[in-house]
Amino acid sequence: MSDRRLGWLLLAPALALLGGLTVYPALWVIWLSLHYRVPVFSISRWAGLAHYAFLVVDTRFWNAAGVTALFTVASVALECGLGLSMALGLWGQRRARRAAVALLLLAWALPSVVTAKMFEWLYHPAGGLVNFLLGGRPINWLGDPLLALPALIAADVWRTTPFVALLCYARLLTIPGELYEAAEVDGAAGVQAFARITWPLVRSILLVALLFRTLDALRAFDLMFVLTGGGPAGSTETLTVYAYRALFQTLQVGFGSAIGVVVFALVMVVAVGYLRMIHRQEAGA
Amino acid sequence: MRGGRLRDGLVLAALLLYALPFFWQVLTSVRPDTELLPLSHLLPSRLTAVHYDVVLRQSLMPRALLNSLGVALASTGLAVGLGALAAYALARLPVPGRGLILLGMIAATAFPQIATVSPLYLLVRALGLRDTWLALILANASFALPLVIWLLAGFIREIPRALEEAAAVDGAGRLAALRFVVAPLVAPGMASAALLAFLFSWNEFLFAYSFTATEASRTVPVALALFPGVFEVPWGDIAAASLLASLPPILIVVGFQRYLVRGLLAGAVRE
Amino acid sequence: MAPRPARAAAALAVLLVLLAGGCHERPPADGPITLVFKHAKILGPADPVPGLLRRFEAEHPGVRVQSEALTWSSDEQHQFYVINLEGGSPPFDVMMLDVIWVPEFARAGWILDLTARVPAAERDAHFASAIEPAVQDGRLWALPWFMNVGLLYYRRDLLAKYGLAPPETYEELVRQVRVVQAGERDRRLDGYLWQGKQYEGGMVNVLEALWANGTRLLDEQGRPFPEPERAREALAFMRSLIERGVSPAWVTAADEELTRRPFGDGRAIFLRGWPYALDLFELPDSRVRGRVGVAPMPRLPHGRVGAASTGGAHLAVSARTRHAALAVELVRFLTGAAAQRAMTEGAALRPSRPALYRDAGLIARDPTLPALLPLILAGHPRPITPYYLMLSTTLQPEFSAVLVGRKSPARAIRDGTAQVLHLQEALTR
Repeated sequence: MSDRRLGWLLLAPALALLGGLTVYPALWVIWLSLHYRVPVFSISRWAGLAHYAFLVVDTRFWNAAGVTALFTVASVALECGLGLSMALGLWGQRRARRAAVALLLLAWALPSVVTAKMFEWLYHPAGGLVNFLLGGRPINWLGDPLLALPALIAADVWRTTPFVALLCYARLLTIPGELYEAAEVDGAAGVQAFARITWPLVRSILLVALLFRTLDALRAFDLMFVLTGGGPAGSTETLTVYAYRALFQTLQVGFGSAIGVVVFALVMVVAVGYLRMIHRQEAGA
Repeated sequence: MRGGRLRDGLVLAALLLYALPFFWQVLTSVRPDTELLPLSHLLPSRLTAVHYDVVLRQSLMPRALLNSLGVALASTGLAVGLGALAAYALARLPVPGRGLILLGMIAATAFPQIATVSPLYLLVRALGLRDTWLALILANASFALPLVIWLLAGFIREIPRALEEAAAVDGAGRLAALRFVVAPLVAPGMASAALLAFLFSWNEFLFAYSFTATEASRTVPVALALFPGVFEVPWGDIAAASLLASLPPILIVVGFQRYLVRGLLAGAVRE
Repeated sequence: MAPRPARAAAALAVLLVLLAGGCHERPPADGPITLVFKHAKILGPADPVPGLLRRFEAEHPGVRVQSEALTWSSDEQHQFYVINLEGGSPPFDVMMLDVIWVPEFARAGWILDLTARVPAAERDAHFASAIEPAVQDGRLWALPWFMNVGLLYYRRDLLAKYGLAPPETYEELVRQVRVVQAGERDRRLDGYLWQGKQYEGGMVNVLEALWANGTRLLDEQGRPFPEPERAREALAFMRSLIERGVSPAWVTAADEELTRRPFGDGRAIFLRGWPYALDLFELPDSRVRGRVGVAPMPRLPHGRVGAASTGGAHLAVSARTRHAALAVELVRFLTGAAAQRAMTEGAALRPSRPALYRDAGLIARDPTLPALLPLILAGHPRPITPYYLMLSTTLQPEFSAVLVGRKSPARAIRDGTAQVLHLQEALTR
């Protein structure tokens, strides 16, 4: 059998699965978004761009978009800053490295629902550790519209910083120690060494981490759905939660698909933009 | 950069502190009900196993654990099985348009689940697969497949072609070379991919929540999210259930750390 | 003569048809017929359902009724039903439905038309406000099982102490809260507890406020907020309860149980609740035993007294059941006078039959029944439309935003109207 034939044969099952369950649905959801579709009542009618036209003037949509944007920017900024610091801190670790990495990765590996329940309990007004450590004040973290989003962001940062930290840590480990010895000989140490040696080498991996984390934050669903359900009063309702509610609570499959398509487009635009930026960086570096 | 024992200890202590939420949940799972609400003391006066007893004997968690295990193992097997073959084809064989296909794989890893959940829901419904393992296995496998292929293609490319060519000289065909030369070398990479796929499937919530209806197929994240509380929320029971739900991830992080890290890094560093 | 293969094919076809037809009408032969009855856990001191089911089994030899409990949360119950009924072959025959789901399930074709199987007299023996939601296009789709109505609970002892009678207007209620709180000087004594969480219960509270101000959610043509100014007033009043400290801020996250408990511990003056709470307040170890009274819901400037929401559960038969006649009999049995009497005696439930409220035996056990009757008759069902749940889940976030102070009532009504109109675009054929 020719190599080409063999190649297709080996590729076919995977492509079939992906074609049927990823590509086809990706196209189908766009088709759905152009219809009024309520399966429970067997309603299926052409809507054209009616759903999108409504989204343009829908305050709930813009609120969700704002929450998504705020969540993404805040989470990713904190994760990258915190992650880099952790990696720097972990960098000279000699003993018990495996234990250190295990403790770090624990937060990342836990199911997001477990993390959500964990933080729901930590934030509990009466039984939560957070209020206890703050002197027993009954702050209603998840019930106050002004506090819920920061509380959610904190939980997400806790969960995903280890990923960034690990990436930076791995990159830091590849930097040969001789570079720093040479710099010391030249009289540059500490901050200067960081700026001249460490930062340029770590910057590229940080950009990759930024890309991954931004895409994940835009798509995030589990944590906010289980922790707050999008409440109170929509202050933590991201586009994903809004889409889910439209799909499965109000059973508007057409409308919910439209919101899903918006998220899809957003994610793709960001992905392409970032990749271009990384490409340009690499070309210039 | 250079550290002493003290520094290492401090770093370890800081990481322990970072994992505090987790340890607090462990403590909550053995704290008696009367000391949960309101919280008056950090340490409980006595430890109790009643929460674990309730979760293991009176809740739906044991069934959920079984569902999760079955679905995760099957979807991992499917994803890695199909993915390894596809990765080899994309990395080594002259498949027309393979650059584009690989690019498509990378793009597919960015797909948001919320976009595909509605058509998949209609598909599952039409095929009568609601509340079955199969629906979740297929959905999870298809979602993990792009990443698995991307990872494994990278790992395979690292293997020098010379080895396969040597095998060819010895008279081995492509498939034999694949089996005896490439596979053993890419096995660690496959382990990494399998661990990531397993973790994804175990932790997956959106598809599971939307496609399941009863404990017949409900996985652990869904069972945890819907943990019943008649009047008040049973925080102790939920903590115990949470920990049971976390056992495989913990096992992987502690026992298979090397493979996990390799998979994570490869996925990020590979361009 | 037709050629051989064609004859064989014809014979095969006839055989298949016979088999299929035969399968359909196979007589209930060996083994008991099992009816699966899906219902939520019954609250209260005792659970009368098992006893009733055993009685039905005794009266129908060869029939077993398997009772299966639903999850606690109403939303989950609904999700469970939707998923299973949509799937085509639901594993149950008789189901307990929240009254608000009946039109939806009827329109979706999931429940059996009971019109021919239930005589008119039996229908008329129930409250009109319970039968109305179960009727669609002139057909009957479910029978009421038990009845609920929103009540204003108050502390008789506290009101009596300050010479107050149950308030007829909400402003009077606020004034009374001030008087009692000033007199008692108990910082832990809350004024008025109600359910403001973002869920169906919260929607009920908002609807009651709208009705109390003489307006409603939809008009006859189904248009939302026909009197927006009155709706705005009602919402603004609810928010003001929290701002003025008459209700504690946490009511915006409270459901029935979270408000019942503090009231039952003596820490509130007024409570809006369902009748089941009364039984719990009168338990021997209750701290407010003998000190709780019930009154009709107060009114706002433009409305009437007692504009409370009715609720409750109905029993329906799955359209795909294989034992339609038996299932309908079970439904008629459980909703019959004898069964409802047993349920009222055992559990914290109120019957859907007006006659039982004048039954001497029941009144002897529960003297509040005669007082509840006029309250139920004055009550109001929630909008009867198959799309009620869609409506409710669309508007809940808007109302919730008003209650936590994140949106002004006017804006919420404007946004809510836009969302409902968009929803209705999909629903009109």
